[in-house]
Amino acid sequence: MTRTIKFTLNGEAVTAEVPPHWNLVDLLQNRFGLFGARESCGQGMCGCCTVLVNGAAVSGCLYLAVFVDGAEVSTIERAAPGGRLDAVQEAFIARGAFQCGFCTPGFILMARQLLDEKPNPTDDEIRHYLSGNLCRCAAYPEIIEAVKLAARTRKSGRT
Amino acid sequence: MASHPAQSVGQSIPRLEGQAKVSGRAEYVHNLHLPGMLHGKIARSTVAHGRIRSIDVTAARAVPGVHRIVTAQDIHAIIPNPYYGPAFHDQPILAVDKVRYAGEPVAVVLATDPHVAEEAAGRIVVDYEELPAVFDEVEAVTSKAIVHEVLKPAGTFPDLKHLQGKRDTNVALDFRLRRGSVERAFKEAAHVFEHTFRTQQVLHVPLEPFVSVAEPGEHALTIHTASQSPSFVRIEIARLLGRPENRVRVKVPYLGGGFGAKLYIKLEALVAALALLTRRPVKVSLTMEEQFYTLTKHAATLRIKSGVSQDGRITARECEIWWNGGAYADIGPRITQKSGFTAPGPYDIENVRIDSYALYTNLPPAGALRGFGIPQLVWAYEGHTDMIARALKLDPVEFRRRNILREGRQQATGTAMKDAAIDKVLERVAARMDWGKPFDRGSGTLRRGRGIAIGFKAVIAPTTSVAIVNLYADGSCSLYCSTVDMGQGSDTAMAQIVAEVLGVPLESITVVHPDTDVTPYDMATLGSRSMYHMGNAVKLAAEDARDKLLAMARELGLPAETTPIPDIFRKKYGMQAGNIVGTGSFIPTYQSPNHETGLTENATPFWMVGATGVEVEVDTETGQVKVTRLVNVADVGRPVNPAIVATQLSGASIMQLGFTLFEKMEFQAGQCTNASLAGYKIPGMLDLPSGIANETVDAVQHTGPFGAKGVGETGTFGVSPAIANAIEDAVGVRLTSLPLTAEAVYRALRAKEGRALGDES
Amino acid sequence: MSPFELLEPRTLREAATLLASAESSVRPIAGGTAVMLMMKMGVLRPSCLVSLRSVEESYSGIQKGPDGALRIGALATLAALERSPAVRSHAPVITRALKTLSNVRVRNVATVGGHLAHADPHMDLPPILIALGASVTTVDAKGGRSLPLEKLYAGYLETTLSRGELIGEVTIPEQGKRRAAYLKCTTRSADDWPALGVAASLDADGGAIRDARIVIGAATDTPVRLVNAEEALRGARADDATLRRSGEAAAAEAAVIGDQHGTAAYKKELVRVYVSRAIRAALSS
Repeated sequence: MTRTIKFTLNGEAVTAEVPPHWNLVDLLQNRFGLFGARESCGQGMCGCCTVLVNGAAVSGCLYLAVFVDGAEVSTIERAAPGGRLDAVQEAFIARGAFQCGFCTPGFILMARQLLDEKPNPTDDEIRHYLSGNLCRCAAYPEIIEAVKLAARTRKSGRT
Repeated sequence: MASHPAQSVGQSIPRLEGQAKVSGRAEYVHNLHLPGMLHGKIARSTVAHGRIRSIDVTAARAVPGVHRIVTAQDIHAIIPNPYYGPAFHDQPILAVDKVRYAGEPVAVVLATDPHVAEEAAGRIVVDYEELPAVFDEVEAVTSKAIVHEVLKPAGTFPDLKHLQGKRDTNVALDFRLRRGSVERAFKEAAHVFEHTFRTQQVLHVPLEPFVSVAEPGEHALTIHTASQSPSFVRIEIARLLGRPENRVRVKVPYLGGGFGAKLYIKLEALVAALALLTRRPVKVSLTMEEQFYTLTKHAATLRIKSGVSQDGRITARECEIWWNGGAYADIGPRITQKSGFTAPGPYDIENVRIDSYALYTNLPPAGALRGFGIPQLVWAYEGHTDMIARALKLDPVEFRRRNILREGRQQATGTAMKDAAIDKVLERVAARMDWGKPFDRGSGTLRRGRGIAIGFKAVIAPTTSVAIVNLYADGSCSLYCSTVDMGQGSDTAMAQIVAEVLGVPLESITVVHPDTDVTPYDMATLGSRSMYHMGNAVKLAAEDARDKLLAMARELGLPAETTPIPDIFRKKYGMQAGNIVGTGSFIPTYQSPNHETGLTENATPFWMVGATGVEVEVDTETGQVKVTRLVNVADVGRPVNPAIVATQLSGASIMQLGFTLFEKMEFQAGQCTNASLAGYKIPGMLDLPSGIANETVDAVQHTGPFGAKGVGETGTFGVSPAIANAIEDAVGVRLTSLPLTAEAVYRALRAKEGRALGDES
Repeated sequence: MSPFELLEPRTLREAATLLASAESSVRPIAGGTAVMLMMKMGVLRPSCLVSLRSVEESYSGIQKGPDGALRIGALATLAALERSPAVRSHAPVITRALKTLSNVRVRNVATVGGHLAHADPHMDLPPILIALGASVTTVDAKGGRSLPLEKLYAGYLETTLSRGELIGEVTIPEQGKRRAAYLKCTTRSADDWPALGVAASLDADGGAIRDARIVIGAATDTPVRLVNAEEALRGARADDATLRRSGEAAAAEAAVIGDQHGTAAYKKELVRVYVSRAIRAALSS
């Protein structure tokens, strides 16, 4: 009952055999050994499984794997050009915006989306955009600071 | 040795593992896939208390792809006595004969595809003869429903040696403390106050749910597990399997959060048994829902009574605490005792009586959760403190000031306070809150109030940490320690200590993660003990390595302080070769409390002190409470990494904010009805108070490494009572049960107006 | 989740036909957020899913018709709705409400049709769209029909759609000078499902209210119009006394249900307070 799907994964054309009941996290872990998107709440509420599909953030745990057929998929493992960390990643390290790190890839992907949409977000915009991501270590104040730092860095064109 | 670089200790150095975590490549057990690995999915009890009549696995076995189904009978074949637990050997790997809570593991389905195992587990049919159940901790004392017919003390910890096997009781442990005479003092007191407080059952919710993998090998069984206590796991699994310690290997990478949940045995005994039964690697990873059936935080009932003199001095305090431990004791008995003795609070009180009871009930087991019982106690004694101050028309800060436990004075146990900056913390939180200044109390339907609360904790004792520093010929080195970095930043802090002692750059140090074949013993990463205990052991190990290096240099006739490390090795071995191994072992002094009186002169190696101040806005039409300001002040000794310390305080206080305002496990007949993050809400970005501030007071823990001590739990202490105190300040109603929901506030407001809500009698 | 077959028809009519002809455990899936949730919980175990993701693109459109009404294709995502300038100018209350509707990732994939057809009373858009006088057009093997959105709901997770009938489009009539607001009340964390949602749409001139539509969700088993609360406003001056009377009427008539977000008695109080606050918000919008 498996299907063959073809899609772009982190910039590379790939093909995979998937059973229809697999979600996107199953696909990334079982077929590609990518573990940065991880299932936690399983209900689309915590954001640990965030993946970008055709440039839009989705909850991998609620997204059927077969639906990425023909799509462009990006995960946290997609490196910035030159293999360096990007402004958001650097800012998360600089501001100590994580503790256990389990939710961090989701926050970083969402923060990048936010900055793509709104290069100068206010605190309120940051809080609303990231309200669908949970951090039990509650590094929230540091995450807000990191997003603001990344916004400044991106603006100054350093990354 | 190299000339001393810039100091490392005391610097806010970014975490060593930052790059791995922000790029999604940090190692968690969750990532581990082994060739031939089977996935186990658990079938769980649907009743709170019942005898198992039969388990029908026919339909489950018929699901294509099922490898094997395992019940307690199969486990017995390889583990004749399959019970584990740190305080009592009371918890079976899979339910034997009876189940004691809804959600208890009864059987496991193994398959290479976890979806198949899950599907089949849902088809296992268990027939139960239901037994009367008990859920309330106070009722459990006298209930005819008995959770365990016989109590089986584990005898693991020296401070629990007195536990005895008893029959037909739900009281797992009763701790008592007697100091002076409360009877006489109550008689002589100008005022006597008595209040009862309650806390609800809540959950840790690490975002990485429990996960363990067991890998059978020729010589040893290897367990990869998301555990805070690798050394304990090895010893306990070795005991269960009847093996020597060196034939069980436990490895722990990073943890996606722990908070006290991932301690002692959780899934490790199960995966060990499954791997031995199938001779294949077995992984069990729980879902978020299953975390609700694994370990929780104690609900508690706390009665507190105080005698107060005419001049506002507390002369006597009586505390009675019932801890709802759920169906298995886990570490509850130790919480009952270790936290129990601080129940009177950080106050100087001559006459004290404490009775603290660990109870079994038919609810999911309770254990340690960021504070080890302290947040429950502070909830009671700091609400009580404000209620007394209010009744006596005294300013809450002034009343506390009059009674605060000062340096050198004896705490209830008789242990003299040392390096506990309680007074400083109180003064700083009052200052940060601008306590003496006028305060905007709001108007109309939006009323404002403020409150503070202060709590303290004695770190658990006695516990041991061992560390090894391995210095290589090129001057780089590895630190071997079994402290688990679950987000608290221990890798970074421990490396800072090594860097400081050896005078080497931080980048030259690798922290080797817990692997019981490689890293030495550590009691566990819990109760804010690691910075002090492991920190001391690491410092000793680094000093040992340094001393050996200096001795080697002297032996070779080199100027020890100025010769670069590689040159010393090169001279010694004629090439880049050799290494120096420094070891350190640390166990603090301790005296067990007298079993009759609870008194001891040395209850703990160090005290943690934390206070919180809050400002709230209460909507009088709906009862909604908004925390607009949150100030945490703590005595953490001298911080090794101030930035990480600040995030620990802040994170702990936000977590406690959830426990205060809305988190609650709901039950119907013992069945948890909100076992998901849709049903059980934890704080998110939009729940953050707009102003959060964290401060550490100028203090030194003289026995700590470079003056440091633990901090992981300190931020939780004062949050709940500070908010309840602020609500009373704002709208004049006092809540004594957690959580402080909008509805609870609204109902109290209506009751105060003499028009209780329609559905209340 | 258990295995199932996945069908991907090219037209909405074909999808409807497949659903009508097949056995009862066949379900449609579009964005899939709600369907996946129910499948993971084991409350839904379909043998076959009919994906609506490959049907005609026209069902994803959002546009204003010549009659001044706004037409929203059932397969438009909530994110598309959130970003649509047409929606913002036609009914800014929708744009504002979307900011706190679920989260960005869900809005990126969940569709308007799925959001409405799920019939979970905690959803935000049904009360808003009902207050705006929206109707839905359905598609089935024989053709389809139009019905006012409030007639779509039959009970908790129940609609009046028959098997093989799918929502094709939502129509929001020209709002003229009507003003609307939506307030939602969460009683636990801020991102919780609401304990109550109140939508108010008013036709007011100066101090007088000519007409009002008040709809609540979350506290009742379906989104419901509160006619007595509306009546209390009709022709009245928009003063505190009127708002209070409307709130009292709302609390009296709403068939409120207690749950984890609050007891029925408490939610009635919330209805009383939030209905008058929503009216005030609409007046000042």
